Amino acid sequence: MVLPDYRIYEHPILDFKRGRRVKFYYRDKVIEAYEGESILAALYAVGYRVFNRSPKLGLPRGAYCMIGKCSSCLSVVDGVPNTRICVEPVREGIHVEPQEGLADIRRARRQENVETIRVETDLLVVGGGPAGLKAALVAAEHGADVVLVNDHFVLGGQLVKQTHKFFGSRDYFGGTRGFRIAEMLSKKIKEYNNIRVYTNGFAYGYFKGGVVGVAVHGEHPLNLLVKAKTVIAAPGAAEKGLDFEGNYLPGVMGAGGAQTLMNQYGVRPGDKAVVIGSGNVGLIIAYQLLQAGVKVEALAEILPRIGGWFVHAAKIRRLGVKILTRHSIVRAIGTERVEKAVLQAYDEHFHPIPGTEKEFGVDLVLISIGLQPDTKFFAQAGAVMKWVPEAGGLVPIRTWGQETSVENLFVAGDASGIEEATTAFIEGEIAALSALLKLGIGGKEVEERRGKLIDFLWNEYRMAPVVRRAREGKLKVTVSEEEMEKIRIGEYT
Amino acid sequence: MSYKEKGYITPEELEKLGLLPPRERLEKGPVVIAECPEEIPCNICVHVCPFKAIRMDKIYEIPRIDWDKCIGCGVCVPQCPGQALFVVDLSKPGQALITLPYEFLPRPEKGMWVTLLNRRGEPVGEGVIVKAWQHDRTWAVTVSVPKDKWLEVRAIWIPEK
Amino acid sequence: MDPRKIIICRCEEVTLADVLEAIEKGYTDLESLKRYLRIGMGPCQGTHCIPIVLRILRRATGKNAEELMLPTSRPPLHPVQAKYFLGGDNY
Repeated sequence: MVLPDYRIYEHPILDFKRGRRVKFYYRDKVIEAYEGESILAALYAVGYRVFNRSPKLGLPRGAYCMIGKCSSCLSVVDGVPNTRICVEPVREGIHVEPQEGLADIRRARRQENVETIRVETDLLVVGGGPAGLKAALVAAEHGADVVLVNDHFVLGGQLVKQTHKFFGSRDYFGGTRGFRIAEMLSKKIKEYNNIRVYTNGFAYGYFKGGVVGVAVHGEHPLNLLVKAKTVIAAPGAAEKGLDFEGNYLPGVMGAGGAQTLMNQYGVRPGDKAVVIGSGNVGLIIAYQLLQAGVKVEALAEILPRIGGWFVHAAKIRRLGVKILTRHSIVRAIGTERVEKAVLQAYDEHFHPIPGTEKEFGVDLVLISIGLQPDTKFFAQAGAVMKWVPEAGGLVPIRTWGQETSVENLFVAGDASGIEEATTAFIEGEIAALSALLKLGIGGKEVEERRGKLIDFLWNEYRMAPVVRRAREGKLKVTVSEEEMEKIRIGEYT
Repeated sequence: MSYKEKGYITPEELEKLGLLPPRERLEKGPVVIAECPEEIPCNICVHVCPFKAIRMDKIYEIPRIDWDKCIGCGVCVPQCPGQALFVVDLSKPGQALITLPYEFLPRPEKGMWVTLLNRRGEPVGEGVIVKAWQHDRTWAVTVSVPKDKWLEVRAIWIPEK
Repeated sequence: MDPRKIIICRCEEVTLADVLEAIEKGYTDLESLKRYLRIGMGPCQGTHCIPIVLRILRRATGKNAEELMLPTSRPPLHPVQAKYFLGGDNY
């Protein structure tokens, strides 16, 4: 039987330079893939859409987040259950099986114990996205000893799938496509021998004495215990879920998940899509779907106004994509995967208006109703947190220098509150400069640079009306050093 | 309904925001129109213009074009991250020329017939590509357009062969 | 709309019907819902469901997020094999 081929071979922006051919086993089938692909991307490329079955209800589960944040793709890899195959690279000869229900521990292959290594460093950076990469580079430039851990096997975070030219200031890569920025920064990281990089490394906890545990996957797995004088955590964000009938069906995906498939791996996520949510993510991804040859039937927004920037909306509107404001999805229909989506008009109280259902024959329902900061790391470390809707959810309180209430633990990027890549770069840099000051490196020059950056970020960049709401949100959780001292001893609320 | 509800802007809205050049200037030769009505934090166009014809004091202001300094060279067209810049030339007899950004396949080539689309994505006629060049994989495509459609056409679609 | 066909917590397979029923029974904050339904206790640790549950709870109870008792985070923050913790010491 010839398997279908969803790989993209010609793209207006991207050249997919695929790596060496790799063969692995899925169930009893031999799958041909390319080095550099995740297991999930390789399976998706040849037509697989259901990756596991839920334990209780036996529902099919498809690709969802694609960045190692959800549970949709948990599979058994070489006998190891609960492996997120979206962030696990293909390797020659591995055996992959779908996980039907709960993990079967009796079948888990007996394995060698993992070696534990204790590492000491000036700065540990958790997360190799825009904020983390920038932070690691700034610290290394000043001579600090840096350890960088990243869950994905490729550095760059979500930059790797951003094909549009970035907005913003030229000083922070404005005008350059996101994936190019990722390439540039990753290359630069390699030039510093005072940065040790661990990819496919999952920071699983923050322990006494500031020790961070990192499970490093791969052929030589490691349990890394990092004792760092300072820690900058930039774990990013996850896409928010939406409750509608049939929301579990494969084909219902985070919009960013589809973006990972098509732009990072060159795999077309489907034939026809509806996109739910008109923030910048939804608008940009709708445009990129068109570039990847996916038809966008409609983009729905429950509010009366488009959420994202007008220029992004105009780009898809003039190519004929319908933007339906005051609309949302009420139902995805299908048995093993999405076959149809039903959108409906909503009134000003967010109730669906009967008789306004519109049915679309699609195989993709892409959810982009917003991101929520991934802040488990901070909460677990004991940082004082606050729920701030404008920031996307639960975020740690921090100083102007990005330090949380846990001394020497800094936050940067989307985990500090949802914004975008430019602010992530700037926050990453501010956090690194603060860490340097703590380490006693740099002195006056560092202090001045940090002051200027904080001023630019708060008093110019974030003053743009379209980002003012995010600024308000961050203001609610940003405090002075003195106030932070009071928070630490429990005297300030 | 404003552009933020519809996803497209009308000539009336552009006029109101002072984003349309005066008619006499348009007839003199090519000039850029910035359909960038929202205050977003971005100033790439200011930096890429070789003639310093675009002004913005704060990073989030609406770009202001100096119609006398702008020669309509189109350097900014493929570099604007929002793809919001268009060069219009009404100085030639017969047809108007519009230079617009394009990031799709098939690749545009001089002499190709293309479908002309308005801001709502509706086909409003056909045009010929008179020039196409690239900056970092974004094309700046100059198409000939019926003169009365200069304020309408803002995209092209090249049918697959 | 069939609340049994709406999944709120993808990991632990909790439907909207389950959540509404639990709220009816008096589990009206996140911490109790978590203990009763295992919401947010799966591999994604609430990444997907917490915002949805919060919205449902706020609508049902009128409480704000702080009063709804956001659940705590404990290690391991990602699925980690036990072998990582049994390893030979190399300190």
